[in-house]
Amino acid sequence: MGPSGTGKTTLLRLIGGQLKPERGEILLDGQDVSKFKRKALFDARKKMGMLFQSGALFSDLSVYENVAFPLREHTDFSEEIIRDIVYMKLQAVGLRGARELMPAELSGGMTRRVALARTIALDPELILYDEPFAGQDPIAMGVLVQLIRLLNDALGLTSVLVSHDINESLSICDHAVILADGVVIGEGSPTDLKKSDSPLVRQFLNGLPDGPVPYHYPASDYQSDLMDQ
Amino acid sequence: MIDFLIRNGRAGIDFSATVGRSGVFLWHCIFGLSWKLKGLKLLARQMYNVGVLSLVIIIVSGLFIGMVLGLQGYSILIDYGSEQAIGQMVALTLVRELGPVVTALLFAGRAGSALTAEIGLMKATEQLSSMEMMGVDPLKRVIAPRLWAGFLSMPLLAAIFSMVGVFGGMLIGVDWLGVYEGSFWANMQSSVEFREDILNGVIKSIVFGFVCTWIAVFQGYDSVPTSEGISVATTKTVVYSSLSVLGLDFILTAVMFSSF
Repeated sequence: MGPSGTGKTTLLRLIGGQLKPERGEILLDGQDVSKFKRKALFDARKKMGMLFQSGALFSDLSVYENVAFPLREHTDFSEEIIRDIVYMKLQAVGLRGARELMPAELSGGMTRRVALARTIALDPELILYDEPFAGQDPIAMGVLVQLIRLLNDALGLTSVLVSHDINESLSICDHAVILADGVVIGEGSPTDLKKSDSPLVRQFLNGLPDGPVPYHYPASDYQSDLMDQ
Repeated sequence: MIDFLIRNGRAGIDFSATVGRSGVFLWHCIFGLSWKLKGLKLLARQMYNVGVLSLVIIIVSGLFIGMVLGLQGYSILIDYGSEQAIGQMVALTLVRELGPVVTALLFAGRAGSALTAEIGLMKATEQLSSMEMMGVDPLKRVIAPRLWAGFLSMPLLAAIFSMVGVFGGMLIGVDWLGVYEGSFWANMQSSVEFREDILNGVIKSIVFGFVCTWIAVFQGYDSVPTSEGISVATTKTVVYSSLSVLGLDFILTAVMFSSF
């Protein structure tokens, strides 16, 4: 968790190997992701899933075909098995009835739910969620919160979730990290974080505009900017 | 002075980096296409998008250019009493030059710009990134079929353009202006050679297809992922492709047809 522009999505992209770190290591199953060759990286990604903030559905494919896409690319399943898996994944996100729709016909929240169904189509070992709750109505948000935790426990996978929604995130996570200005300002279990007396952590958890974490982007003095001819 | 050097040096470094990136990109794409059933299906779909959907503009343009060649040729040749040679003139002009060149320019405007915009938009909406994160290489899945479709479609489109152009020239020369039909076809057959004219024209269209499609897919893939970035990339595709085609045409013509 952390304020906008602090590097949360960048962190997810680093874990997924889409960006190379300038220094340090990112270990996945004990291996440094940033040192993978192109083929090894694509092989490693077959065990990962990433839910993008925008959903990133393929605009020329229907909802059904979007969810079936990773199955068609990485498996030799028959059409019947693919259909069953797609229906199960869509049922989990409540959109089985929308399978014939095209991405342009979906709302923002529905798009992300279809994207989640596509992300879990291959039952990955690691799922990276980028703002999964943004734009969801309260009912869908409640279901998604439970679904993410359920998937994590039922499939025994690792979930890394980036979010601004403090209460929802803290309600399902085992370990939370708060970032600000590109550095970790607090981490621990949700209980530990709520008890923290760090002013940085308290400001973020309580959503206070004034505190050690600046609300304003660095700028020159406001009054002199206005008076400047 | 130092600023001038810095600016030009940076532009030079950027240009070199772009050329290098596009070379590596081309390498991955050329050898990235799967020739199994799945890859061939993707190729067929892109050949439809790139080739079949360009047919209308190619056929209409070919017809009108052939008709204009017929009119212009007749008005020049009649002064020398050689209007029977109109078939030869129309065919040689089309097969050697206008077929490959005009088809490539139309291809860059119609299919090239569409390829750039489509790939650029896929990048801007994170579709390429999401494909990468699914362990699917977008260079193989998205770019390679489009690149190969462009390579294969261009010579076919140029051949169709030339055929339709000859037909347009015949409509004007024979049916309208009254040139004897036997002379029209006989002069054409006796003067158009397979190796010298047709094969060289085909080689030109292959080279132009390669360059135009490479520029189009690279500009899309390398575009800045914003609406303005896609607009700039699309414009670059048309401008770079057109200039490359005209420049390469001069070089190829000099190599193929000059006797010095």
